[in-house]
Amino acid sequence: MERLLEIASRKADKVEIYSRSDVADGVRFENGRLKDVESSMLSGIGLTLMKDGRLGTAYTRNLIDREALVESALAALTGGVEADYDLSPAASPAGLDAWDPKIEELTTAAMVEECGRQAAHLGSCTKGQVNVSAARGISTTRVLNSEGFDQTVEGSSYQGYFAIHYPGSYASIHRAVSAKSFIAASREDLDEAADVFNASEKELRPRSGRTRALFLPGAMYALVWRLAAATTGRTVYEKVSPLRERMGEQVASSLLTLTDAPLDDSQPEARSFDDEGTTCRDKRILDEGVLRGFYTDRYYADKLDVQPSGNGYRSDITARPAPSLEHLRIEPGELSFTELLRELKEGVVVGGALGAHSGNILNGDYSIGLSPGLWVENGEIAGHVKDSMIAGNVYEDLHRVVALGSRLEPASMGRFPALLLDDLSFSTRG
Amino acid sequence: MFEELEKLLSGADADYADIRYEVKRETSIAFSGRELTGLSSSSADGCVLRVLKSGGLASVAFTRLEDAARALAAATANAELIGARLDEPVRLAKADVVEDEVRPALEEDPRERTVEEKLELLRGYNEIAHDHPKVATTSLGYTDLVREKHFCSTEGSRVREDLVTVRIAGGITTHEGGLTQTVRVGMGGSDGMWRLRGREELVEERRKLALDLLKAEPVKGGAYKVVLDQRLGGVFTHEAFGHFSEADLIEDSPSMREKMALGAKLGGDVLCIKDDPTLPHQLGRYRYDDEGVAARPVQLMKNGVLVGRLHSRRTAAAFSEPLTGHCIAEDYRYAPIIRMGAIFIEPTEETFESLLERLGDGLYLKNHMGGQTSGENFTFGAQYGFEVRGGKPGKMIRDINISGNLYSTMKSISGVADDLKLGEIGGCGKGQMNVRSCYGSPHLLIDGVVIGGR
Repeated sequence: MERLLEIASRKADKVEIYSRSDVADGVRFENGRLKDVESSMLSGIGLTLMKDGRLGTAYTRNLIDREALVESALAALTGGVEADYDLSPAASPAGLDAWDPKIEELTTAAMVEECGRQAAHLGSCTKGQVNVSAARGISTTRVLNSEGFDQTVEGSSYQGYFAIHYPGSYASIHRAVSAKSFIAASREDLDEAADVFNASEKELRPRSGRTRALFLPGAMYALVWRLAAATTGRTVYEKVSPLRERMGEQVASSLLTLTDAPLDDSQPEARSFDDEGTTCRDKRILDEGVLRGFYTDRYYADKLDVQPSGNGYRSDITARPAPSLEHLRIEPGELSFTELLRELKEGVVVGGALGAHSGNILNGDYSIGLSPGLWVENGEIAGHVKDSMIAGNVYEDLHRVVALGSRLEPASMGRFPALLLDDLSFSTRG
Repeated sequence: MFEELEKLLSGADADYADIRYEVKRETSIAFSGRELTGLSSSSADGCVLRVLKSGGLASVAFTRLEDAARALAAATANAELIGARLDEPVRLAKADVVEDEVRPALEEDPRERTVEEKLELLRGYNEIAHDHPKVATTSLGYTDLVREKHFCSTEGSRVREDLVTVRIAGGITTHEGGLTQTVRVGMGGSDGMWRLRGREELVEERRKLALDLLKAEPVKGGAYKVVLDQRLGGVFTHEAFGHFSEADLIEDSPSMREKMALGAKLGGDVLCIKDDPTLPHQLGRYRYDDEGVAARPVQLMKNGVLVGRLHSRRTAAAFSEPLTGHCIAEDYRYAPIIRMGAIFIEPTEETFESLLERLGDGLYLKNHMGGQTSGENFTFGAQYGFEVRGGKPGKMIRDINISGNLYSTMKSISGVADDLKLGEIGGCGKGQMNVRSCYGSPHLLIDGVVIGGR
């Protein structure tokens, strides 16, 4: 890697190298039975060069021919991507405890045992189809550049997931765990999910109209996606974010606090520097509903003439760094699930979202299929609904937060509590 | 290359093993607004190894050849672990041993064009997209993707096939007052760069649409009778029905397997559906899948009756149904899974005008915004549409997401037009991406779908 830096530095003004390797093993049970055990060992290197105010990038999986990699990046310079931002200076960001060595002893056989235990327990207390999965990962990320920055972080991760499916559907009641070390699914979690599923078995046909809705953590990304799209440096710079001139304003309910927490090393992939070497810090995007921060990589920070926020991440070695919220969380409230249902009184529980990627995301609009939708009457789950949707706009609807759940759960886009909203538009066949 | 791969396989202590080595070359160029924000041309490579042993089938992906022995050991151990827990051992349906080399017929091979030329092509379209004061920004990208695949197995198959995909895709965003609207633009294919030439009109039309949408009204939620255009009909076919035709998605769900039994009458007489990766000049074309099985056309539905299914070697054996050659991986990072190749509803004799007339009062919905399926339930978005009164399209509407149930919707399809169109841009994210997933349909008349709305 040092050789590559040396070769590239001779030919360019600024050089940044990103290297990443991942070893992962995953186990999957479907319908209560072991279905698949998969492993992967992937590594690669991304190279970024700047010369005469222009930027060139290239990548490789195998560092066999360093000269060729540098030549690819130099060739890309001719395209004329204009950039001349400063690379991260040499720094020693705070050490994080992102690595649990016990992850190395976690075998696929042990994960098969754990998933088998969960499947057997859920199978004994529900009639739904039970799917369970577990995966462990070991990652090494290194960033070095021509300014003298050179840092490496090793991380461990464990992800567990179980789901009880409604017949003929992939809609499910599900739970996820995510940590840097193995954690077994607790008996209470398994039982609670089974109880919710069993209570909702009956199909109901409520009427369309305005209703209260409880978004479970697994459905929250449908709403959070809109906020993330409006707070990235990219859409702010392009002047298409609806929030671009609203810094310091109340854009959502005061019950809502959205935090980016890269330093929380109880979670996997905790980072003290991002994929460009920028020092990371915990920060509020929304603080009690008030807009407090946009997030940037070095490219957009330079365009916007602000300090980079430490959110430059690559989705893969083949991708350029881009502003990304990798450690998102909504601060939890105080109510248990049962208390949230009581507060909901009558309305719908959004257990999962279908089609969250459709619609005018930038505008804050959403229109999602409920997958599943549970119907609540008298503060208790009465059954489930089919062919139903919730639609609205986050900048209107998120002002009507009634309450938040007390428990954070890992889900798509971050860790979220359940969120109870008032007066949403519900459409159904009934 | 094959000698090296076969040498590795010869070390396998297994009932069957195969390996796929791939080089993936990619040129990508991106504009954000008028700024060029990315341009790169690189390649990467890696292997996926699969082992069948003691009744279990397992795979390992790796990118460093020095990890090969470790990968083989891991795949073997994982296969044994699976085999020990299965009631029914995994079997692979018998497939022909194939030795073949396939290069796609290309009109303008992107590998023979300079990156400067590709940049100018994209810049030209981006300028057209921007050509109005209310266009706030664009996000437009050029990609050409070449997969050079080498597949061999312990049965003696050796398949070398190249897949070349080109596309220009992105969005045009317009802005007025507090409102923004984004319209997708897409062009591309699997038979060369000529697909990206002379498409100025398409970009102009999409820009106009993004402007018109600023004036359109959000749709009111409820149940409607609708006509879907070919793109939406294609998404419906792919999302709602197609995924259910993939044997791996239903095999572990007893309730779905029962409903999807061959011979079941699921739709109206008017409904015939096929998946045919071998059709020339369409995005999803390939000769061999990533198990080295030759692709073939599969009749999935005939006059509303389910008559076929898409398979891998494993599921074909488990279902005792014929092989179809539909087991495909995104690239060298993934084991293959069952994917649609080119799925479409077959056209009838009825005209689009006749469908509108039969619609009477309802909605005419156009252009898809992506969809998702969850078992028998599906959701997908329409870019825009028109209210229809007495068979005449009127006021433009937007913010349309459709939700429904596969079985009831299939039965509600009461009209299929004569104007089949396959999409130039596909894409399906079933755990891994398949950018060549192709789908299409003629115009469809459906008697009642639920639309979310404010």
